[in-house]
Amino acid sequence: MIVADFSRPFWPLFLHVLGAMTTVGAILAVVVLSYAAWNRPEAAFLRRATFAALLAAIPFYVLLRVFAEVMYSDEKDGFGGKDPTWVGIGYITSDAGILLLLITIGVGYWWKRSEKTIAGRIVAVLATLILLLLTVAMLAMSGKWGS
Amino acid sequence: MDKTQWLLMLHIAAAFCLVGGSTAAAVLNALALRSERPSEAAFLLKLIRRSLPVIFAGVLGTLIFGVWLWHDLGFGFGTGWIWAALVFWALASALGGRGGRHQAQVREAAEKEAAAGDTMSAELRARLRDPKALAVNYAAGVATLAVLVIMIWKPGS
Repeated sequence: MIVADFSRPFWPLFLHVLGAMTTVGAILAVVVLSYAAWNRPEAAFLRRATFAALLAAIPFYVLLRVFAEVMYSDEKDGFGGKDPTWVGIGYITSDAGILLLLITIGVGYWWKRSEKTIAGRIVAVLATLILLLLTVAMLAMSGKWGS
Repeated sequence: MDKTQWLLMLHIAAAFCLVGGSTAAAVLNALALRSERPSEAAFLLKLIRRSLPVIFAGVLGTLIFGVWLWHDLGFGFGTGWIWAALVFWALASALGGRGGRHQAQVREAAEKEAAAGDTMSAELRARLRDPKALAVNYAAGVATLAVLVIMIWKPGS
């Protein structure tokens, strides 16, 4: 498996990993900002900053997901019709992550417009969940769980 | 999972901490540059400190597990791409540290202005957007990216 990792084409793997790492960074910024806003609900700049950081995560997530698909289509024949556990975990977590990210952006927009404290706290919890999902996916894929 | 897969997983996890933490710091810094008030800029620059433990874990973890993998996978002492990655890793760490020191100085200046009326002066605006400091930050990002390129490409292996 290690040898197989080393023989992968450069660009899809590089862009997939870069997308994943920067997505983690953007979501980490959202988590830091939204928890900072938890105790400062009056701070409008934190609402704006959190929403901007959420929007920044979109292109990174697209990079992650598109090049995951490119690699999967290149390599799926090698799995002999049955995907390894780590591929399944990657799909489940990235699809759930996209859904959660879109919901979080929606709640973030509501927070920015309505200034409701509860919306900010929902953003903090959802962003934490996305970060946890990304961490599980990263560990499963780098450790090749179940292979 | 065998020992090599464990080491690879921990090495990659550390790389995620390094690049992810640096990206979070870059996002917070970019938001601070757009601040309207010194108090906002100071608060956002202060938040960068929350990403530092993640970055430090990444810096140390990539080195420790990377060197361990180097030995475990049996690459020779003269493997060029590993040395090249180490050079860029050291460069990224040094430049990142320098950029961090500039951010700390600007934060202190922003805190002083926040306490004295909270109106953004031209001087503080200029320090926030100092081209030399931005160049150092960009260079640190490019050096980090170079490590990632070398690690995935493994030229010559």
